[in-house]
Amino acid sequence: MQMYLRLAWRNIWRHRRRTVIVVAALGLGLGLMMFYDGMIAGFEQAIYGNAIRVLGGNIRVHAAGYSASPDSTPLLPLPDDQAVLRAAQAIPNVVVASRRINTGGLTSNREGAFAVSIIGIEPEREAPVDVIAQHVTQGRYLTSGDEDMILIGKGLADLMDVQVGDRITLVGRSTHNQMRQRTMTVVGIYSIGVSSIEQDTVYISLGEAQYLYGLPGQATEVVVTLKKLGEEPPVIRSLSRALPGYEIESWAQAFPDLQATIGAKNGAMTAFSVIILLIAGIGVLNLLLMAVYERTREIGLLGAMGLRPGQIMALFVTEGAMLGLVGVAAGAVLGLVLNGALGVVGVDYSRFAGMTDYMALISGRVYPTLALSSILSRGLPVLLIAILASLYPAREASRREPAAALHSV
Amino acid sequence: MLQLYRMAYRNLNRNRRRSVLSSLAVSLGLMLLMLMAAIVRGEIQGSIQSSIKLVSGDLQIRAASYVEAKSSLKWEDLVANPDALAAQVETLPQVSAATPRLFATAIVAAGNLSSGVQLIGIDPGSAANAPFAGGMVAGSLLTPGDTEGILIGQPLAQKFGLRVGDTVNLSANTSNGDVAQQTFIVRGIFSTHTPTYDESTLLMPLQKAQAFTQTQNHASTIFVLLKDPDQAQAVAAALRAPGYQVLTWQTMNALTLQTEQLANAYMLVLYLIVLAVTATVVVNTLIMAVFERTREIGILAAIGMTGRRIMVLFLAEASLLAVGGILFGLVLGFLVCLYFEKVGFYVGNLGTTGFLLGDRLYALLTAGDTINLMIAALVITLVASLYPAVLAARLEPVEALRAE
Repeated sequence: MQMYLRLAWRNIWRHRRRTVIVVAALGLGLGLMMFYDGMIAGFEQAIYGNAIRVLGGNIRVHAAGYSASPDSTPLLPLPDDQAVLRAAQAIPNVVVASRRINTGGLTSNREGAFAVSIIGIEPEREAPVDVIAQHVTQGRYLTSGDEDMILIGKGLADLMDVQVGDRITLVGRSTHNQMRQRTMTVVGIYSIGVSSIEQDTVYISLGEAQYLYGLPGQATEVVVTLKKLGEEPPVIRSLSRALPGYEIESWAQAFPDLQATIGAKNGAMTAFSVIILLIAGIGVLNLLLMAVYERTREIGLLGAMGLRPGQIMALFVTEGAMLGLVGVAAGAVLGLVLNGALGVVGVDYSRFAGMTDYMALISGRVYPTLALSSILSRGLPVLLIAILASLYPAREASRREPAAALHSV
Repeated sequence: MLQLYRMAYRNLNRNRRRSVLSSLAVSLGLMLLMLMAAIVRGEIQGSIQSSIKLVSGDLQIRAASYVEAKSSLKWEDLVANPDALAAQVETLPQVSAATPRLFATAIVAAGNLSSGVQLIGIDPGSAANAPFAGGMVAGSLLTPGDTEGILIGQPLAQKFGLRVGDTVNLSANTSNGDVAQQTFIVRGIFSTHTPTYDESTLLMPLQKAQAFTQTQNHASTIFVLLKDPDQAQAVAAALRAPGYQVLTWQTMNALTLQTEQLANAYMLVLYLIVLAVTATVVVNTLIMAVFERTREIGILAAIGMTGRRIMVLFLAEASLLAVGGILFGLVLGFLVCLYFEKVGFYVGNLGTTGFLLGDRLYALLTAGDTINLMIAALVITLVASLYPAVLAARLEPVEALRAE
C-alpha cells in the first residue's frame, strides 16, 4: 500500500506539466463552482434579507397559544419577556433581540379610514437593524419616550394626504377585543419602495402600545434579528432549549409562501449548478483519458517489469485520486479566497439600478458567502470523477500485452 | 487556408472521443446560458404580462390631476362620462377593448377578521375583464345592475373562510371624505393565478361602486387594451387631450422594466462563471493536446510549416470544436427552453417583493439573448484557444522531434 502511495506521488510530480494542467482544471472548476454557490447565497441575502427584516424578522418568539388563536395578532403577552431577551442575547449569532406588541386596527382622517397593522417597537434597540429606520425620508424615527407619535409609510401618507406634524386618528384593537382610539401626530414617514407594505404598517413606541392596548410592562413578541438569512435553525434550537413552553418560529414558518419561492429559486439554481458540474466533469474526464493514454508505453514497461494488471490499475487509480485531492485542495483554496475577498468587499450592482426606490429593500452590494459546504458537495463529485476517469483507461492499458504497449507511440 | 481546415478536421477526427467531449462541454455551456437567460427573461415578462392584463392595461386614460397612489375619489380627479368615453375609444381600430374602472380603498370585514383591500368597480361585460370572467372558481360573474354583489379573490376567501352566498361588511371612503358601509353578498370567487393581486382585490359592478362612493357617472380610469402593445405610444399620442393624462404600459411598468436591468446584471456574474468553467475545460484540454502532439508538431515544422501556420492550424481546430459545440448547444438550448416555455415550473407566491407574478414561471428565449450568448461563447472559446495555439507555434522542431 505504501509503495503505491509513494510511487503514485512521485509519478505525479515527475510528469509535472501534465499534473499542473489537470490540477489547474480541477482547481479552477471547483473554485468557480464555489464562487457560484457563494454568489447565489449572496443574492438571496441581498434580495430577501431586508424584506424579511421588514416583514417581521428572522425569528419571532411568542407565548404558547399565539399561533392557535383565530386572530392573526392576538394580544397574548409573553409570560417573561425579559427572560426571552436574555436567552436570545446570550446566543452569539444574534445581532439584536427586541420586544414588540403587534395588533391591528385602522388610521383615519378626513380622507377616509385605512386598515393597518400596528406595531409597538423599542426604537433604540431596533434602530441599528431596522430597514425602516434607515429609510425614514421625512421627519424622524421613533424614540422610546414618544407619546402619541406615529411613524407611517409613504404609501399611507399619500393615501391620507398627510405630512410630518399632521394628526391622524389611530384605532387599535386592545385586550378583551375592545377598540382604543387615540389621536396621533405623524412624527416621520418611511419609504421603502413597496407601497403595499407602506400602506399596511404603522409604528408606535412600545410604551405607547403598552399603555393603549392594556399590556402594561409587557410585550406580545420578541423579534430576534440575525446577521444572515439561513442561520435560523441552530439559533432556534438553542432558544427552544432555553425557553420551554414558548412558541418560536422562523420567517420560513411565518411566511411559507416566501419560503416556497426561495426554495423554488434555489432549486432552479441547483439544477443549473449540476449542469456546471457536468461541464467540469467532462473536462476532467477528457484530461485524464488523455493523460493516461499518453503513458501507454510506461504502462507497458511496468507490465514488462512484472506488475500484474490489477496492480497497474491500482497504481493509476491512486494517481487519479491524488490528482483529484490536490485539485480539490487547490480549488477549495481558490474558492475560499475568491468568496472571502468579495465577501468582505462586496460586488457592486448599484450602477445598474437606476432604481433608487426599490434599492431600499434590495441591497446594492452582493456579498458572496464562504460556501464551505460547497467544498464537500462539489469537491466530492469532482474527486469521484477524477478517480473514475483514471480507472477506465488504466484498465484498458493494463490489459494489453506489455510488448504491444511498449511498441505504441 | 482550405488545406489547413481540412487538416484540422482530420486531426479532430483522429481523436474523435476527445473532440466530441470538448465540443460537448461547449454545447452544455451554451445550453445552460440560454436556459438561465430564458428563465430570467420569462420571469420579468411574465410579471409585465400579468400587470398589463390585470392592472395597467396597455393604456390608461385618467383625469390630469389623478394620482394613482392617492386613489382620490373627488370628482375633479376623476374622468366624467366614462361610459361614453370608453365607447368612443373602442371605436379606434388599434383598440381591442376599453372599459371604465373605479378604484377605492376599502376595508372588508367578516366575522372578527378584517382586511384592507382595493375595491374595483368594473363593467362585467367588457372584454377587458376576461381574466376575471375566465378565472371564476366558484359562483358567477356579476351582472351590471347588481347592488349587493361582490366578487372576491380566492386567497381572500380562504383567509376569511368565505363561500358563495356569504355576507361581508364593506366600508369604503367616499368622494366627500365620509365612510360608506354596507353589507354585501359574495356572488363569486375568482382566481387570476396572481396571488398578490387576488388576495387584495374586490370587484363590484361599476354602477354600484359609483353609487357606494358617491361618484356617479365618474370613473378613476379608462382601461384600454390594444391589439398590438407596441402601438401604445402612437395611440397614446392620438388620444391626448387637455384635462386628461394618457399613460402607456411602459410608463406604468417602469419599475418592473428597471428591475429587469438589475436582474440581468445579477445574472452577468453567473454567466461569466459558466463561461469561465467552459473555457477552463476547453483550454486545459487543448494545452494537453498540444503537448501530446509535440512530436507531430515537430515533424510539421521540420517539413517546412512555419510557426504561424502551425498556430493557425491549431486555431482552426479550436474554431471547428467551438462552432460544432455551439451549433449543438443551440439545438439543446432551443429544446430545453421550449420545454420550459410550454410547461414552466411552479413557484408559488412571489408577491411579497412587490412583483405581480403568476404562480407558474415560464421561460422566454429571445433571439437577442441567444445571439449575445452565442457570440460570447464563441469569442471566449477562441480567445482561450490562443494560448495553446501560440504554445504549439513556439516549439523548436529539433527539440520537439526529440521529445518523448
